Amino acid sequence: MKGKYHIIVQNNRLRYEFDIKRNITVIKGDSATGKTTLYEMISLAARRGDSSGIDLQCEKKCRTLEEPDWKLILPTLRDYIIFLDEESRFVKTTDFAGMVKESDNYFVIITREDLPGLPYSAEEIYGIHTSGKYHDMKRVFNEFYHIYGCGEIAEKFRPDQIIVEDSNSGYDFFCNVCSEYGIVCKSAGGKSKIIDQLKESGAENALVIADGASIGPEMNELAQYMRAHPDVKCYLPESFEWIILKSGLIDGNEIQDILAHPQDFAESQDYFSWERFFTDVLIQYTKDTYLQYHKRRLNTVYLHERAKKEILRVCNKISFKKDE
Amino acid sequence: MLKIVFGDIENSIYHPPTYFDNQYEDEWITDPLSVAMIKEIDKSEVISAHLIESPVLGPISTKEISGGVKTLMLMAFDESGKIFNGSLCGDNCAKWIVEIAKRKDLTVNLHHVLDFSSAGEFDALMVNTGTMVHGYMEYLHEALRIKER
Repeated sequence: MKGKYHIIVQNNRLRYEFDIKRNITVIKGDSATGKTTLYEMISLAARRGDSSGIDLQCEKKCRTLEEPDWKLILPTLRDYIIFLDEESRFVKTTDFAGMVKESDNYFVIITREDLPGLPYSAEEIYGIHTSGKYHDMKRVFNEFYHIYGCGEIAEKFRPDQIIVEDSNSGYDFFCNVCSEYGIVCKSAGGKSKIIDQLKESGAENALVIADGASIGPEMNELAQYMRAHPDVKCYLPESFEWIILKSGLIDGNEIQDILAHPQDFAESQDYFSWERFFTDVLIQYTKDTYLQYHKRRLNTVYLHERAKKEILRVCNKISFKKDE
Repeated sequence: MLKIVFGDIENSIYHPPTYFDNQYEDEWITDPLSVAMIKEIDKSEVISAHLIESPVLGPISTKEISGGVKTLMLMAFDESGKIFNGSLCGDNCAKWIVEIAKRKDLTVNLHHVLDFSSAGEFDALMVNTGTMVHGYMEYLHEALRIKER
């Protein structure tokens, strides 16, 4: 499944309106914001249709999934937007993650727990808030808001230390740039080890660079850590490959088109997260060219002056020079 | 006294709202603590043990209050010895967990790092490591060391 879908769920008192555009969306936030009510309305509308009195508008079929028979039902579903509530303990299991990975459905999961088996985006973690009365002045209008923003640093920042999530090409690139400007650069060795790395290096004035496309499960703890340590900031582009594609180094209108609306190109069955999608796009568009991209080790062409400058232009909130 | 235990444990109720619907007592609803929690978290008024007035939904039954408040009421009033999953509580419930623990010995099971930053001063025993923490910063530091979720 791919694409962006607008969903309206309403009855005589409540109206929810939101968009879903990736295979995994997470809803969390304060108690009493209407998460369970949304779930129950979708469940009722899916089971009883028009006779439920609930108006559910969406181009795709929507339904809920529950214990105990989710394992039997999920493999039979295609092209659905599936909602799961926080009583569904199975969302943490590797069995569920395996099924989501191969699924031709989108999943909207209501939970405050971190789901390390699912590579969801920081951008697709939402809370629900009431934004007043709908224009008929009868219904209370509820919409989604981003809990963690869009991953961009608020203002220009010159770190003394950069911690890169992984040890692949992105790390090679930032290590090279950092060595040029006297900034310490370390690899966390995986997104689940970022906080350990921050604590170990006693990082002050540090910047974490991680793949926004899949950092969702770490965001609750990372956000609390950063609030407790205001001199630690994070930059969460979709992925390092997304930065390269965004830089314009690789010619082609098609790439800009893909970046403008990746949801119309990233098939959920093929790509567990957009991070893998952008990697494939970059590999595909640089194949057999001097810019040929390898995930494991950076092609040194990307460290040539012009290429480096173009790539860093995308990360324009990071100051590498001391007096910049 | 507040005890916090992360990860799967015996005798824990994973989804307290379901347990609440089948086990709550009428007098819990009209207790001043519940009335205050329902007012602050759900923005609703307790009219009687069977009727709540919600500004959004109008008159609702006790079973329609939020999962967070149901979990808090179980923490406050249930005497079965069960331990309730605090990860059903939003961050806006944290101060009430601290309040309940001032009134009784309370063990809370967590499957995520609940944000206690707005809960004021508190002491808690982190059961996984046996460490006493004093306030949010010590809690966060210790919680991030614990791997069980």
